[in-house]
Amino acid sequence: MNGRHLNRRQVSRRDVLRLGVAGAGTLAAAWATAGCTRAVGAPADAMQFWQMYAPAPQQDPNIVAQSQWFLDGIRRWAAAGERPVDMVYIPAYTDPTNTRLATAFASGDGPDIFLISPGDFLRYYNGGVLTDLTPYMSQEAIDDFYPDALATRTVDGRIYGLPMEQEPLAIFYDIPAFEEAGLAEGDLPTTWEEMLELGRRLTGGPRTGLVLDTTPSYYQNFTFYPWVWQGGGDVVDPRAQRPTFDSDAAVQALAMYGDAVGSGAAARTLPAGGDLVGAFTNGYAAMWQTGVWQVEAMRQNAPDHPYGVFRLPAPPGGEPVTALGGWAWVVNSRGRDPESAARFAVEVMGSTSKESVDAAARWNGVAKGNMPARRSVTEAIGNSGAFENPVMQRFRDEILPTGRGEPRYPPVIYKAVSNAIQNVMLAGADALVEAEAAQSAIESYMETYEGGPLV
Amino acid sequence: MSAVTVSRTAGRARAGTAGGNASVGKAAQERRQRRAAFWFLLPDSLGLLVFVAVPMVLAVVLGFFRIDGFGSFQFIGVGNYVRMAGDPQFWSSVRITLLYLVGVVPAIFVVGLGLALLVQQKIPFVGAIRSMLFVPYVISLVVVAMVWEFMLGDRTGVLSRVAASLGFENVSFLGEPSLALGTVVVVTVWFQMGYYMVIFLAGLQDIPGEYYEAARIDGAGAWQRFRAITLPLLRPTSFFVIITATVSVITGGLDLVFVLTGGGPAGSTTLLIFYIYEQAFLFGELGYAAAIGSVLVLVMLAWSALMFAVTRGGRFDND
Repeated sequence: MNGRHLNRRQVSRRDVLRLGVAGAGTLAAAWATAGCTRAVGAPADAMQFWQMYAPAPQQDPNIVAQSQWFLDGIRRWAAAGERPVDMVYIPAYTDPTNTRLATAFASGDGPDIFLISPGDFLRYYNGGVLTDLTPYMSQEAIDDFYPDALATRTVDGRIYGLPMEQEPLAIFYDIPAFEEAGLAEGDLPTTWEEMLELGRRLTGGPRTGLVLDTTPSYYQNFTFYPWVWQGGGDVVDPRAQRPTFDSDAAVQALAMYGDAVGSGAAARTLPAGGDLVGAFTNGYAAMWQTGVWQVEAMRQNAPDHPYGVFRLPAPPGGEPVTALGGWAWVVNSRGRDPESAARFAVEVMGSTSKESVDAAARWNGVAKGNMPARRSVTEAIGNSGAFENPVMQRFRDEILPTGRGEPRYPPVIYKAVSNAIQNVMLAGADALVEAEAAQSAIESYMETYEGGPLV
Repeated sequence: MSAVTVSRTAGRARAGTAGGNASVGKAAQERRQRRAAFWFLLPDSLGLLVFVAVPMVLAVVLGFFRIDGFGSFQFIGVGNYVRMAGDPQFWSSVRITLLYLVGVVPAIFVVGLGLALLVQQKIPFVGAIRSMLFVPYVISLVVVAMVWEFMLGDRTGVLSRVAASLGFENVSFLGEPSLALGTVVVVTVWFQMGYYMVIFLAGLQDIPGEYYEAARIDGAGAWQRFRAITLPLLRPTSFFVIITATVSVITGGLDLVFVLTGGGPAGSTTLLIFYIYEQAFLFGELGYAAAIGSVLVLVMLAWSALMFAVTRGGRFDND
């Protein structure tokens, strides 16, 4: 130490306090301004589009291609002199633990445009935050959509959401597992009984014969509904708007789930943490009920692994029916400019203009690789791009025509059905008792329900 | 160092010179100290007020409304509380939470204390062992859950294979309703044991070694020393552990359950905190969720008060 240090003015307690207050002030100012900061490069008056694609959070070529598709769309829109759109990437947008959208609306600060799944549609519609897009669409464009793609986004003939895809369910099967068991394509099951028998036969060692979703969630219900529909049943009769979950069809579907797990044909939990690619490539699963999105997952991660798909088997006397998922664009009626946002959504997703059809063809046929929601887009793609794959062609030609849109049931109905599935499938409860309990819960709920029709 | 010394000396010299003004100076000093304490506490107090107290009051108020999550508030009085009383899923989640509590808190206490006693010994690499035991606590709970999910996976998980090699074929730790909650308890204890080990270790190191020395001279064995010295002198630490473990068990566990089981199978791991989350953010029933949350806070306050009353806040009898 030298003299200069000794003579330096002491740091008093008051100085420490001043320093602390100044530091706290600086932090508060930084926090406040950070809260007001917009995305880099986004104009101040831009509308916000919340989704899970763009800007791409990683450099995977496929993810980048999907992101680029969105960014091209907003660039064309802005170049036409329209109010710009800012793409806001929401991590884990589809994850049920993500509360960002719900809390944004609860605090009156929802995005102008956002993506929505059928399961959430009625909550937002009944909350009065969805814009009627019908006035911005031509009749030709409305007729261009497949009826099942629009049905669950329509209320009283008015369209509140524009589907960007249709995602049918099927059963994926692992060809090496079948070959090991001496099975060929001709042995693929067409009835529930055959499916469970095959599931038992293919189960052994680390391998599960049949995978049906097991985690309680909207997704599990989505995968369960087609088994009810196949027998002519339903959760709620869409015409009468009355619950029908105590029907024979619903009871037999529940019983089939119980048998599948109880007899050892299906697993109690998802193999490989729910990753179909990992399960097939490691020999952990032979058959798995899942959706068309897995075709792209297999192409990206295991392009050489042989697999196939087949339609969901039906019960005796039943019809092959599947469920169609998929996300739709919706516009916040309380956003900063719902009219511009609606025109943007319709221009990209619901117009018969060449740009709109070409853009959708690039999305469904190249960037994402799934089933189009519009006939013109299906025709524009033909057998090109992702549809060069025979599995995609089978989805389009054999499975999609048997599809019905994922129902838009409110949470109470979802929960009643979910409890029944879980109790029968994993706790060995009686299917009839559980179906009646769910029916009773849905009946009491519907006595006071006010909102959009349940379809 | 010298600067501080000079300052204090000068201060005392000035005080000495003042003589009869000593009491006036003392009062002024106390005022300055109070002012300083006020300013030091102000930021924390403001933070607690804005981010804890106000939201808590608002949450209680929200419990009297039906809220749709889109700006519609309808006052329904005690409607949410009446609904709660007749909601079988609420009571089911209360029952499961109590089972979880009864499983986790004693286990955390025993394992945390046991590990602390072990790593208190003079053994090679004890620092590394302590660190390794503490590491799970600093890992994201989601990551912890995912790792365990793979280890517990049916047929392919390492623990399932070990069980199969012992003759327990096709055990589904996470898919069997009778096993799932127990599995979540084990994972919770594994995740939290390191933290409570450190707390107990601090408590053990506060116990003077002379007591043990005297007990040894008197011929007390290890178990007697533990019962007569360690446990009684750990009373404040034990109180802290029981209170904090109870609160963390009741309010935590959401991430773990979401990743491991999603509340299943057949609702067997739907803890109350999971049910609140489900009502608020998946179903948009914000008012109902706020009402359940308010009851939960009241129950925890009552439990803490009871613990304070019974144990005198963990103080020793002669304090």
